[in-house]
Amino acid sequence: MTQDKEQGLAEVREKIKKLLVEELALEDWTVETIADDEILFGQGLELDSLDAVEIVVLLQRHFKVDIPDNEMGREIFYSVDTLARHVHKNLNPGDS
Amino acid sequence: MTTRADATGRHRKRGNRLGFWFFKATIRLFGLRGAYGLVHLVCLHYLFFDRQSVEATMAYIRRRFPGRGYMARILGVYRILVNQGKSLVDRYYLISGLGTFEYEVQGYDEIKRILKDSDKGLVLLTAHVGNWQVTMNSLGRLDNTVRLLMRPEDNAAVKETLDVYPHGDKVKTISTASFMGGMIECAKALDNGELVSIMGDRIYGADWTTARILGAEARFPHAAFTLAAATERPVVVVLSGKISTKKYSVDLSHIIRTRYTSRKDRQKDIEKWVQEYATILEEYSGEYPYQWYLFHDIWAGAERQAPPPGHGGDGS
Repeated sequence: MTQDKEQGLAEVREKIKKLLVEELALEDWTVETIADDEILFGQGLELDSLDAVEIVVLLQRHFKVDIPDNEMGREIFYSVDTLARHVHKNLNPGDS
Repeated sequence: MTTRADATGRHRKRGNRLGFWFFKATIRLFGLRGAYGLVHLVCLHYLFFDRQSVEATMAYIRRRFPGRGYMARILGVYRILVNQGKSLVDRYYLISGLGTFEYEVQGYDEIKRILKDSDKGLVLLTAHVGNWQVTMNSLGRLDNTVRLLMRPEDNAAVKETLDVYPHGDKVKTISTASFMGGMIECAKALDNGELVSIMGDRIYGADWTTARILGAEARFPHAAFTLAAATERPVVVVLSGKISTKKYSVDLSHIIRTRYTSRKDRQKDIEKWVQEYATILEEYSGEYPYQWYLFHDIWAGAERQAPPPGHGGDGS
């Protein structure tokens, strides 16, 4: 993995954390307290299906990136990191 | 012709392609009225042998007409079954290209204005009052693709009828059988300016909220509201009633605006929107009391604690 890719991925992670905190109004969390591999649903951030729909819309709106509506979507929604990797991959299709 | 839930919550198929073919042939041979006559006979069969359907309809009749005796209630159930059968006949009449229906549409201009003001779509919240399939046809003038959130795998024949709607490929389906109950596709469709149609009086999974209707708490799916709130699009309640053999009244005038007041109050917000829908539905179905067909008893189990929105069910 190149340094540029790692840096790009880190930037996407930060943007996603900021979006989650601000747009989902996560009162108990800040960008700094969310770990890179924080789990989104059930544990970790303890998001629910209402948040899932909102995340889908946020990714479409801010990154023009879709989440596949299948098992792969479930894997992408596992953590901040898996979400960021999906977004980064779609923003940089030749960089995988 | 329809599907119904068994004791485990799954939906048993009712009707098949042969049945549909038979109805189509009858319409061609004897016209609408002839087919309606056949419906009366077929519904006698359902009245005597389709226990679940009768129970669901009786749950409604009992609350709609609380003072009525048993025989009057049974007659009420029969009238509803017949009207449901007629709505299926009307659908095939339309699909077969044998004729059209006249519509009296209320609220059309406001919807057109909303769509004109934005390149995004809106959520249509329907119910089994009147004939939602025929109502979809009346929306053809809007020039927007309509996406129906449904389980097409329930009945292949029903899906076929959607594929040959008079407005061609403008009516499509989104399956609930995906990891987020079709919500991702719905959000995309709204973003593309399409209309997403969701059934408001039929629950498939555990994603429901209770609201008071006809004097008691009942269960309603809330996916339309969670989708609308996330995408910041309005919910248009779509209701219809058959007013004569070839004429329907379509009401699009009720628009529910959804915006969460705060994260911690999301459940309360959803309950408020669902109650608003239930109140509209109660009043409208009062105008057409024998035209609301329920696939299951929406009051059953509603007194239990409703699952908080966002925990389990189709949408998760």
